[in-house]
Amino acid sequence: MDISFRIRRYNPEAGRSKPYWQEFTLNDVEPTQRVLELLHRVKWEQDGTLAFRRSCSSGICGSDAMRINGRNALACKLLARDVGPKIQVEPILGLRVIKDMIVDMEPFLAHYRQVLPWFVNDGPLPADGRERLQTQQDKDLINDSTNCILCAACTTSCPSFWANGEYVGPAAIVQAHRFLFDSRDTGDDARLDVLGAPDGVWRCRTIFNCTPACPRGIEVTRAIGEVKLAVNKGSSAGIIDPATIKQQH
Amino acid sequence: MTSLVITVTETLRYRGAIGQWSWALHRLSGLGVVLFLVLHVIDTSWAVFWPGLYEEAIASYQSPLFTIGEFGLVAAVVYHAFNGLRIVFFDYKPHLWRHQQRAAQIVLLATLVVLAPVFLLMFGHVLDFYRSAPQVLPLTEVLRAQLVFLPGFIAAIVAAVILSGLHGLVAGGGEAAASVQGSRSERFWWSFMRVSSLLILPLVFGHLGVMHVLQGVFDITAQGHDVVGTGLVNESGTAVEFVAARWNLLVGGVAVWRVYDFALLALVVAHGFNGLRYVLTDYTSHSPLLRRASVYLCMLGAVTLLLLGVGALLGTIDETAIEMGVAAMERLHAAP
Repeated sequence: MDISFRIRRYNPEAGRSKPYWQEFTLNDVEPTQRVLELLHRVKWEQDGTLAFRRSCSSGICGSDAMRINGRNALACKLLARDVGPKIQVEPILGLRVIKDMIVDMEPFLAHYRQVLPWFVNDGPLPADGRERLQTQQDKDLINDSTNCILCAACTTSCPSFWANGEYVGPAAIVQAHRFLFDSRDTGDDARLDVLGAPDGVWRCRTIFNCTPACPRGIEVTRAIGEVKLAVNKGSSAGIIDPATIKQQH
Repeated sequence: MTSLVITVTETLRYRGAIGQWSWALHRLSGLGVVLFLVLHVIDTSWAVFWPGLYEEAIASYQSPLFTIGEFGLVAAVVYHAFNGLRIVFFDYKPHLWRHQQRAAQIVLLATLVVLAPVFLLMFGHVLDFYRSAPQVLPLTEVLRAQLVFLPGFIAAIVAAVILSGLHGLVAGGGEAAASVQGSRSERFWWSFMRVSSLLILPLVFGHLGVMHVLQGVFDITAQGHDVVGTGLVNESGTAVEFVAARWNLLVGGVAVWRVYDFALLALVVAHGFNGLRYVLTDYTSHSPLLRRASVYLCMLGAVTLLLLGVGALLGTIDETAIEMGVAAMERLHAAP
């Protein structure tokens, strides 16, 4: 199949200070080729100045989040046949564009750090001095939110984040969820303070753009809702009913 | 301003699902209702403070511009109410999120189902009114009457910016303390918006049902017509007598309509201006001055409306007021 590509370009070094659209045509595209491969073909065959991030190319590293045909996704997870003979690609929104698809991720990562995304437990070690164990049921509560790869597709699909870069954003809230509802973690108080602030979880208006944007299928808006209830209660205990967890295996 | 422009243009461009449109409609309907609330509470307070002006306000409400606006208002209230219920439901039951798209469709459908008969009844009032070959205030007069609000709005915005500037000078480095305080109040307001919406729902539907569906805005000044919810007749055909009949009605020694209107006023003002604060602070995050000014503007608006509204509800409407209403009516009808 032939693909007509419309790509949002921005390259201030080349003397163009404003973003613009550029069209490319690709012939003999396999329907099962991924959008990332098509971007490679543009870069390698037609215009070597095209810039985008990618690393593992298999939906794990989260480098190649971009807006494809109007919706955030990973370029390495969408097939040509699913997005069709006309493909429009532009950078994710709400973060400063450095060049073409490459945005400044630092504000996004700063929000991530804000929610203390590390294991907090200053209690004594278990008797055997080795691991802090948890039951399968306890693990189930955080199964979904541990899947986050920090690609920023959810956060940059959120109109609240577009309007207000200070908003901590869906991805950071999912990361907070992962630790808040971890039975072994004791850092709730500090995290709930961050999330309860005016630019914390309350800026979520339950628009639900984030959930379909997640390439990992995380129930993002649900996680945000559970964190809201935890902030409201002042504790993460008893917020999630284990019976409502979708079984992953 | 840029963040507002980006949000508007990119909301149109981003291919979000129905939730994105529900959110946009929720905001727009909420803003529309708050705007009308401001006009309506100030206008209604004139029934007590400035009866002649109240007659002019009701004459404006009976003009075609406001008739169109009234249909929009009712649609906005019904949609905002139903969509609010959807939001509240998924806030407390986040694990049911898979049903949210269906719920958003049901909200739209339920809005249409409710609006169809309501609009028919409202349209009936419009037809009845125009069949009686009424004297309608010309558009220029209606717009001129609304112009008095403009300096008020501008003054409120200027005052809010000045207060915000002073706040910035005085507070200086006190942002950290304000943030902790802010987090407690945000939690309160989140719960308040949800609880208040459930209380407002029956009150506002009752109010719309009585004032816009059972009777129309045209019946307020119908001479010899009953005053809805009182069993009394509007002898003078003035809007002032209409309000007097309702507010002076005592059931078991209690002025029931005053109590009803007070409950509606207090809840809707708090809910509406806090909602406005959410919207304004979303788009002013880049500027501490404007962000604080947004909060002050909402506080000023809420306090002003509560003072005027409560003042009017505690006031008396007597024979003199009705006579002033009659005089204003005669002036209006004599106008070319």
